[in-house]
Amino acid sequence: MTTSETAYHRLSSVPSPPVLSVEDVRVTLGRGLHRARILDGVSLTVERGETVGLIGETGSGKTTLARTILGLTPVSGGRVLVDGEDVTRLGRRKRRALRRRGVVQYVFQDPLKSLDPDLTIGESLTEPLLLQGVPGDEARERALRFLGRVHLDEQLLDRLPGRLSGGQRQRVAVARALVTEPDVVILDEPVSALDAANRVQVLSILQELKAAGIALLFVSHDLGSVAGVADRIAVLHRGEVVEVGTTRDVVTNPSHPYTQLLLRSAPTLRSASADRAERAALRARLTA
Amino acid sequence: MVRRVLTLPSGRVAVGVLLAVGLLALVGPLLAPQDPLATTTDALARPSVQHWLGTDSLGRDVLSRLLDGSRVSVVGSLEVVVIALVVGVVPGILSVQLGRVFEWASLRIVDTLIALPFLLFAVAVTALLGNGITQAMVVTGVLVSPLFFRVSRAATLAVARSAYVEAAVISGASVTWVARRHLWSKVLPPIAVAFAQTLGVGFVIVSSLTFLGIGVQPPAPTWGGLLATSLGFLDQQPWAPIAPAALIVATVWASNLLADAIRDVTGEAGRDLLDRRTRRSATAPSLSRTGGTP
Amino acid sequence: MTTTLTRPATTSAGSPAPDQPAPTHALSVRDLHVGDPSTGHDIVRGVSFDLPRGGVVGVVGESGSGKTLTCRAVLGILPEPFAVTGGSVEVVGRDTATLTPREWTGLRGSTIAAVFQDPASYLNPSIPVGRQVAEVLRVKLGLRRRAARERSLELLAAVQLRDPARVWAQYPFELSGGMLQRVLIAAAVAVEPQVLIADEATTALDVTVQAEILDLLAELRASTGLALVVVSHDLAVVAQLCTEVLVMRDGEVVEQGPVSRVLHDPQHDYTRLLVREHEQYGLERFLGTDGGELR
Repeated sequence: MTTSETAYHRLSSVPSPPVLSVEDVRVTLGRGLHRARILDGVSLTVERGETVGLIGETGSGKTTLARTILGLTPVSGGRVLVDGEDVTRLGRRKRRALRRRGVVQYVFQDPLKSLDPDLTIGESLTEPLLLQGVPGDEARERALRFLGRVHLDEQLLDRLPGRLSGGQRQRVAVARALVTEPDVVILDEPVSALDAANRVQVLSILQELKAAGIALLFVSHDLGSVAGVADRIAVLHRGEVVEVGTTRDVVTNPSHPYTQLLLRSAPTLRSASADRAERAALRARLTA
Repeated sequence: MVRRVLTLPSGRVAVGVLLAVGLLALVGPLLAPQDPLATTTDALARPSVQHWLGTDSLGRDVLSRLLDGSRVSVVGSLEVVVIALVVGVVPGILSVQLGRVFEWASLRIVDTLIALPFLLFAVAVTALLGNGITQAMVVTGVLVSPLFFRVSRAATLAVARSAYVEAAVISGASVTWVARRHLWSKVLPPIAVAFAQTLGVGFVIVSSLTFLGIGVQPPAPTWGGLLATSLGFLDQQPWAPIAPAALIVATVWASNLLADAIRDVTGEAGRDLLDRRTRRSATAPSLSRTGGTP
Repeated sequence: MTTTLTRPATTSAGSPAPDQPAPTHALSVRDLHVGDPSTGHDIVRGVSFDLPRGGVVGVVGESGSGKTLTCRAVLGILPEPFAVTGGSVEVVGRDTATLTPREWTGLRGSTIAAVFQDPASYLNPSIPVGRQVAEVLRVKLGLRRRAARERSLELLAAVQLRDPARVWAQYPFELSGGMLQRVLIAAAVAVEPQVLIADEATTALDVTVQAEILDLLAELRASTGLALVVVSHDLAVVAQLCTEVLVMRDGEVVEQGPVSRVLHDPQHDYTRLLVREHEQYGLERFLGTDGGELR
């Protein structure tokens, strides 16, 4: 918490653009009958060192938004600014050069699929660095350092991803996103597939990244898993951001009925299931 | 991969047999004890010290013809496989990378090639371009290429859509980087398997074509041709087809054994690809169309 | 509503001889051991609980904790090579060890039913879902075609699918995960079983859909007196519905007791970890764990 506050201080004293700014982005996918508007005028900012939770369920467009920021899905309207630079209309060469700088990194939903099964952990970790032109020895050294940062043993460097546990793989995926020392990391459901022990470990690593001043965009369907880490929360519902606010505000005083439903639905340790009637009422309001 | 194939007994046997056949192709014509084209009056002789495998209907030494013919047979089938490899793999990989138009066009051409009746087409083309080993092998190579097209396309598709390629692209990887670092290792094993399989298929095809007298002018010996002529004198020389047939069968068997060995040692990815897509959709039809003639 | 606890709050494996279960229990598991008889290695060691008629028991544990094998043992569908190697399972007072395979089949569905994590894999993709529910009714209850259709429509309505007639004729691929899970619940409760086992039934679903399904289970329980075994890796999911909870780890029950006690006074390190995860990183940070009001 304190580091993000200092990050805010830094912001107020030295005006710098948000590290990531999504402005009125529209995305339409498919053709003909299958044409569908996935994102409908989405705006979102992530300030330096800030952690933003992006909440959305299946079909909300959250993964599309992440892919749009990374330039993997083209926009049909609006802009995505990374460090003040519009990345939506870059040529192939310029985009590649931007990507090699490694300012924005991405942690995939499924770490098993995002690591090449034929490459060792070391080879996967050094790939972004080798693309930057960092010499092999130095890249390996840096990979080793970042492996330590996600609390993994350096022996893993020569293993194949198939030999790692789910929790280890997810931490390798996080380390891979960190090696280029990015300003912002987008994480797509980083803890959903993990059990309690690994979940706590990955979440605590995210806390450490936050403390180190790295901005995070934490994408998840579950408000509960994001609440502990995020400074602010944005709620995406059917391609629109229906609510943005500080985590405390959104959690304690949600204004949109969908956010209210999300909160009432999130399983908590409060054993009361008295919210049932309220959930039913909210569902009725949302479908109306 | 090569080293791992050699750790399997079946892999060692297959490589051994194929090396022997290759050696035969290399030095066989030099080893021939007599002129393979020289006719003698001693026609249809039984095996003897002079003629280890006897003589044919024109009195030519069968052993010499077999040794001399090995080069044409082996080089011919290699030609088929190499042409099929180049004609198949390159567009197979590009069909994923070059966009919709190329993809559509290449897929239609491949469908057409698969639909063509194989031997008939080869006969027609050699009739058109003249009867020569190169014409015959080029045609055959092109007709076998859909196997390589499909194998390489399937492997490339699986890799291109994977999250780890996207992860590389997000880090600024170019198409060539992705091909070198991620694609190559996944596409190579299935192609190697297809190569070994096609080697066997190519051998059968070359043998069938030469059996039919296509690609090689009559006096020049080939294994397929020897088999064909020996069949005409079965009543006098019932043992005669055994030697050329055994050579053909051993080579084809060794190629298939090698294909299996490669598949067994390559990683999950290669094995999956082959089991699910290639084996059923690509190999089976081309084998059934070409096999069984000699 | 009240669950009788027949065992002390914390249990250890291989506990003393079980009492005769009261006939009021829908399900009674006594010192259950599951393992591979050929190696003599037990994967599940000493699970015991009683589920009264209309009661709810929760089982919490991560993958590999033995919770799914326990469920499967109770359902009599253990995968090869596993078998019940010790203890007993009684369904409505009947010891399942004495059942023939035919009797097992009769018991499953009519008395005890289950829903699992991946609903799509339990449905035939090429048959409309309504017909699959109707088929259960025809096979298990001997209903005629027309009667089965009418009853299955009622069931689809009972699991709160909007427009049941439309859903009836749809194929599995046309329905969302939440809708498929409702269809499977409809099929599971079609023959009015006394016990329903929900093994990670909401794990793959979105949070709001998960809440819908949990609400549905609670309502079915209230309206039909169905007893539930809710299995999840998430303590909070279990806390929503259950009055008693078992926490499993490495094949053993490490903690067992009323939900309120386990949540507020966890004894075992693993349970503490589960609670801490929520308190540190979950909504509880803002809301508290004591049923503090939202808003």
